[in-house]
Amino acid sequence: MPGASERLLEDSQIDSALEKASDLGAQYADIRLVSLETNSVAMRDGLLEKSISGEDIGATLRVLANGAWGTYSTTDIDSLINNVETTYRLADSIANRRTSGQDSVELAQIPIKQDRIDWHPKQDIRTVELEQRLEIMQNLSQEASDDERIISTTVGWSDEHIHNELRSTEGMDRCWTWQRSLIHAMLTARDDDSVVSYRTRYGGEGGFEVIESADIAELGVESRHSVVRLLNAERSPSGSMPLVADRDLTGVYIHEALGHPCEADLVASGDSCLDGRLGERIGNEIVNVIDDPTIRGGYGAHPVDDEGLDTVEKSLIEQGVLKTYLNHRETAAKFDIEPNAGARAQDGLHRPLVRMSNTLIKAGSHRDLDALLEDIDHGVYACGTRGGQVDTGRGSFQFAAQEAWLIENGELTTPLKDVSVSGMTLEILNKVDGLAKDAKLASPGFCGKGQTVPVGDGGPVMRISEALVG
Amino acid sequence: MIPDNACENLLSSCREVAKVLESKQVSEWEVFSTQSWGMEVEIENNRLNLAGGGGEGGIGIRIVDSGSYGFSFLADASKASQAVEEAMKVAKVSPSVKGFELPTDSGSTSVDGLFDAKVTQLTPDMLMEDCDYMLSKAKDLDDRISLLSGGVYSSATASAILTSNGIEDSGKTTCHSVSLQSAIDEDEQLTSSWEGRSSRSLIKDYDPIIEKAVYWTKITRDPLPDGQEATDTPVLMSGDGFSPLFSMVVPTALTGEKIARSESLWADKQGELVIADNLSVVDDRTMAGGMSSSGRDGEGLATSKRKLISDGRLIAAIWSTRDAAKQVADGNVESAETTASASRGGHHSPPSVGCGDLSLTSSERTYSRDDLIAQMDEGYVVHSVMGAHTANPTSGDFSVTTSSILRVEEGEIVGSVRQAGLSGNLASALSGRVILGDEVHVKGSYSSGTMHLTDALLFEGLRINPL
Repeated sequence: MPGASERLLEDSQIDSALEKASDLGAQYADIRLVSLETNSVAMRDGLLEKSISGEDIGATLRVLANGAWGTYSTTDIDSLINNVETTYRLADSIANRRTSGQDSVELAQIPIKQDRIDWHPKQDIRTVELEQRLEIMQNLSQEASDDERIISTTVGWSDEHIHNELRSTEGMDRCWTWQRSLIHAMLTARDDDSVVSYRTRYGGEGGFEVIESADIAELGVESRHSVVRLLNAERSPSGSMPLVADRDLTGVYIHEALGHPCEADLVASGDSCLDGRLGERIGNEIVNVIDDPTIRGGYGAHPVDDEGLDTVEKSLIEQGVLKTYLNHRETAAKFDIEPNAGARAQDGLHRPLVRMSNTLIKAGSHRDLDALLEDIDHGVYACGTRGGQVDTGRGSFQFAAQEAWLIENGELTTPLKDVSVSGMTLEILNKVDGLAKDAKLASPGFCGKGQTVPVGDGGPVMRISEALVG
Repeated sequence: MIPDNACENLLSSCREVAKVLESKQVSEWEVFSTQSWGMEVEIENNRLNLAGGGGEGGIGIRIVDSGSYGFSFLADASKASQAVEEAMKVAKVSPSVKGFELPTDSGSTSVDGLFDAKVTQLTPDMLMEDCDYMLSKAKDLDDRISLLSGGVYSSATASAILTSNGIEDSGKTTCHSVSLQSAIDEDEQLTSSWEGRSSRSLIKDYDPIIEKAVYWTKITRDPLPDGQEATDTPVLMSGDGFSPLFSMVVPTALTGEKIARSESLWADKQGELVIADNLSVVDDRTMAGGMSSSGRDGEGLATSKRKLISDGRLIAAIWSTRDAAKQVADGNVESAETTASASRGGHHSPPSVGCGDLSLTSSERTYSRDDLIAQMDEGYVVHSVMGAHTANPTSGDFSVTTSSILRVEEGEIVGSVRQAGLSGNLASALSGRVILGDEVHVKGSYSSGTMHLTDALLFEGLRINPL
């Protein structure tokens, strides 16, 4: 467990490695180390199934030479120094294979800092004993399983203390730490005709205070009601129809449909439907979208990005107009836009990509859910998320709800199950025609893009005038 | 790439941890150690983007004390004492499972083709040449083609296991992977296709992968007009497109623990017809060159090949040691034994039950894709889907989206559809009339196993909802 001031990268070793990279002719090099102290616990039907704790340390050396990248990632930190030249040669070889018309990598300038930032939790999650975790999980399990139709209740817990260090040939020397805590449950119910499942998650950036802020009993009761309701739910109607999404689904929608195509590395690779559309109106003027890693408590919150830039709120869409891309130093330079600290890596063994953090649609003017429902004759109200996926180049996306209701004449009527929604980013953003006043982050999530990172998504309850429901 | 003494070094680490376990008088223990070395070259937007290399590894410790178990992991053996104490602490508060003991040595199965020295001899320059070849080959096939992403990856992994009950073994595997995303962006219309392949041995011929990506990128251009009706229809799922859905639903449903706890869609169906009577499902952990095959399973037991569904009837399930003991102890089944079906995702987690190399076969004649399209007469061909991970494994229900979809009329492809929803229930679809194709496609991951599926013409239970 690194102490409050402990550094894991040895200064003299790292100085030598970076100096060697510079001597070889590197334009830039950095070494980023991540130490992850993790705990995960699983409980099945009220009994401990497994508890896993451990510490992982990984580091990645990046060398930029002649406009191309070489990287070396390892769990053997001492081996970094011996691989500087090899990594430089990899970058140089890539550069030599490029033709004159192919772009060289350049990096946008950012402030060079030497400091340490600790997002201190109110209660360090590492001080919580296993027995205390089990007690809370037990409570959730009991509340969630209190129905004979529920045949399985799995409750999970995971927490992380994340310690980052970054050194670069530019003189960057930063260290930053923070924590994440999460509790979740999966319920399976069965009756004569069907087997259904329902998942709930609660968590965010922070220590034990995150879990303490949850109404565990309520979380269990709501999950139980949902899974039992799904037993008698009907299959979704299919076709184009008005859709109202709860905060969870609104978050997944904006993450998949807009957030991914906004990632500048995808734009640079030619794989985004938003390529060349900066400054264009791409959505209804009521649509305002931000990505903000500085929202403390959000599951995607972090103080510094993985290239050493302080994180900031990014305004992606203002009144329907695309204002910027999420970017890292390479893509900020490529598109000549302000660097906005969008670089994130899964851990110390992965290189930073452009990633989302906490992504939200801002609040609108509708009073509440009822106000959004009242003029819909036939549609679907969908809640919770089973995940989603996007084809960023074509601009098509799909996401699935956990449960849903039919809307008939402005009222919620028949419960539905297995509802999914698909559409085209550039069409459906224009069809957002109602947003409630209560925007905030919804349940924590995870985003995959070759690497998995925790994210927060959310917004208000949202109405789409026409969506493809299946 | 991989040191000659990699296995010996890992076993040595295991022994070091074992000494700590024995000094703390742990009655039953298992030490698993793994280390991998890899390198990659990436393509981005028609150019080589990056070259990288490196390695990672660690050690997992599982201890069992009177049926209770604990687990912890560590980066290297020097921190074994702390990790062992952590695992002991967990075991103390874990419920005891009557009859649960770590397995004793049952030998190992001989499985060929898991390690290819040629993969370890690949150099970064060779990977770069391969990427250059992919770029030029794609352009040769159609000069409008861009390769947006992809690359070539090679790795070697060494693993070792040592237990208090006499299991001691180590082994090496290799992996060579190639992937690419091709696209044509012209006339304000972008079509694309992602293709990939992984192999334990050297992939000598990249052309089929590149040609398939280019084919799907081209054939989905200039789609039919939007607004076609939603319809319940026969669908020919390509092996590539079928694998993600199949792997979400079928491996889970065949897990003994899920069946015993009535969480499988095939609970209480032992001996009954669960899919069409021409179909069988075989889980093979001994397949030569299989990506999910090895001589021992994740607990160190000798692996085997098992038919799980025979002529449509559920005849067996997959078990790990602890799952089997627990379900017997809980009274959910009268008897159960491990089927040596424990998988490991690395050193971070204990072994858990999973499929190996899983095949869907038919007792009836199989056909080429063209013949399957002719037999379908009217319907759709679907090559890849978005959102397969949202399928419901407990019910088999799914609702996904596809942009790689072709309309078939009178036995011929008449054009593509811009985007469509595909929904249904996988178990129902497999219970109707199903005809399989000739050619096996291999896709997979450690968590669900590796799927060996052909094209599958499914006549019932599926609905296509075009945009």
